[in-house]
Amino acid sequence: MSQYKIIFTGPVGAGKTTAIDSISDVPPVKTDAAASDMTKNRKAATTVAMDYGIMNLDDGEKIHLYGTPGQERFDFMWDILTVGGIGLVLLLDNTRADPFKDMQFFLDSFGKFISETSVSIGITQMDLSSKPSINEYHKYLQGSDLKPAIFAVDARVKNDVSLLVQALLFSLDPGLEDE
Amino acid sequence: MKSKDGTPLKIALYGMDDRAYKTMCMYLKGPCKGIAVVVDESEAEIDLLDADHIKAKELLDQLQARKPNRPLIILSLEEILLDGTIYVKKPVETADVLAALKQAKVSLSTDDSKKVKVRAKSETEQKIEPSSSHIPKSKKESVAEEIVPAAKNIDKEEKKKVSKHRTAMDLTEGGFSAYIGNVDGVNFSDHEQVLKASYNPKGYFLGYVQSAIKVCKAKSRILQLNSGWKPLIVFPHSQEIWLDVEDKQLRAFAGVAISKNGAKAMSLTPIDQSKFDIKEKMEGFFDSDHFLWKLAIWTSKGRFPDTIDINKPVYLMQWPNFTRLVVTPHAMRIAALLIRGPRTAMSIANALNIKPQYVFVFISAANVLGIVGQAKRQVDELISPPEVQPTKAKGLLSRILGRLRG
Repeated sequence: MSQYKIIFTGPVGAGKTTAIDSISDVPPVKTDAAASDMTKNRKAATTVAMDYGIMNLDDGEKIHLYGTPGQERFDFMWDILTVGGIGLVLLLDNTRADPFKDMQFFLDSFGKFISETSVSIGITQMDLSSKPSINEYHKYLQGSDLKPAIFAVDARVKNDVSLLVQALLFSLDPGLEDE
Repeated sequence: MKSKDGTPLKIALYGMDDRAYKTMCMYLKGPCKGIAVVVDESEAEIDLLDADHIKAKELLDQLQARKPNRPLIILSLEEILLDGTIYVKKPVETADVLAALKQAKVSLSTDDSKKVKVRAKSETEQKIEPSSSHIPKSKKESVAEEIVPAAKNIDKEEKKKVSKHRTAMDLTEGGFSAYIGNVDGVNFSDHEQVLKASYNPKGYFLGYVQSAIKVCKAKSRILQLNSGWKPLIVFPHSQEIWLDVEDKQLRAFAGVAISKNGAKAMSLTPIDQSKFDIKEKMEGFFDSDHFLWKLAIWTSKGRFPDTIDINKPVYLMQWPNFTRLVVTPHAMRIAALLIRGPRTAMSIANALNIKPQYVFVFISAANVLGIVGQAKRQVDELISPPEVQPTKAKGLLSRILGRLRG
């Protein structure tokens, strides 16, 4: 049986672990550790390997949800993780110093995977910092080949994460209907 | 950018010591090519304040009290978006200063033109037309302040705006009719009637709200739209609407065409803060896109806006922010298809095998946000859009979709 997976990525503290938790049918396997470097400025614990969750489909198929470690020193794992992936969910923290730079970094890092699949982008923490706005993210991407779905997301809210993943699926095939 | 007769704009400087004052005078003459000349306060058309000066707040209060309608440019190291002012980040770039002066000049000219065009109802109240570009002029506008947090900052008030950050309502076909209501005289099961079911947004509350937002943005001021119903307040910098009303009341009001008498009651005024305290009703704040989207859905009720020719292709500039909007049936599929390239409304309905009114309602809502446009390139009408090719994993993706939608 093939292993189908959706990849969640983004910088430290963007909500990847929480987002996977929101839609996973099993308690996600977390690989958080106490942060001991600059990461500790943003959160007490951070993902040092990867997060893992499962969505069980009615026919017994499993969709594996992988969260990449946020720290760039683990980026060697990203290529391995994306093999056979359905698509990418990129989460960005709006309270970080330069979320545009974060977005560009991850879009570049996963460029090949995105070109073969698709990406949807969730902006978290907008209830703490409403700037940049969603429109400003779209404007930033003007001129690039990408026109991804970009949504405000509260990673704790299942409906937000669900809509973000749905947008990813519809980007792959607008003709999809529920089964 | 000088005045029509070639004379430079007259500008007064505040919050600068002698050296900074002289430097700015030379800067306007040199790099800014003399588009503005520094004069005394009494002769000035525009004010410029260095907000990092130790007495900046005091100076600002004085300026806004003395000359509330005079364009004010604010220079500062940190972003300061203050109602009715133009911000330029320090250290200043010539292009930014020129842009600010241009904006100030536009503000001056619109104020002048309003003296002729706008018939004021009173000193503090202006009549507005739906979707007009008229700028109201008021001599007694209150100076309501709105400071927008710069990126990186945490805004403690933002969390209290629960309506603004509430997750989307995802409508199914079954719940759609109950949510949007019916249109008298249109039978949506009759295909012919559906294709003729258009509406004029200007004839509804929607048009007046759109117009009010436009005016507030142009004027860079917080204003209150009075409709003879509930007061609605527009915050242009933070792109927010404040309205203390339940959805069912708004839905009913949105669906009623505004009569001539109703149109006469529409006006824009400064906020009457004595009547209510907004900070006590933070749940009344909505993102303006969310508000307009919802209003457009309730105005459309499955009809299309007469500003769009449904026989010609439309294009989608960007995905709507669906997690904070009402997701009408098939809206995500329509967006995903339309983002790929222009299509006519009927082509979308056929490609996705859905009822046209779902497409019309989407186009109506996206149109008020300005993210849908009518394709004007000849090629878009000449060549049929490609058919939607199912992906190899369609079955799997559909099952994931079904699982997500529960």
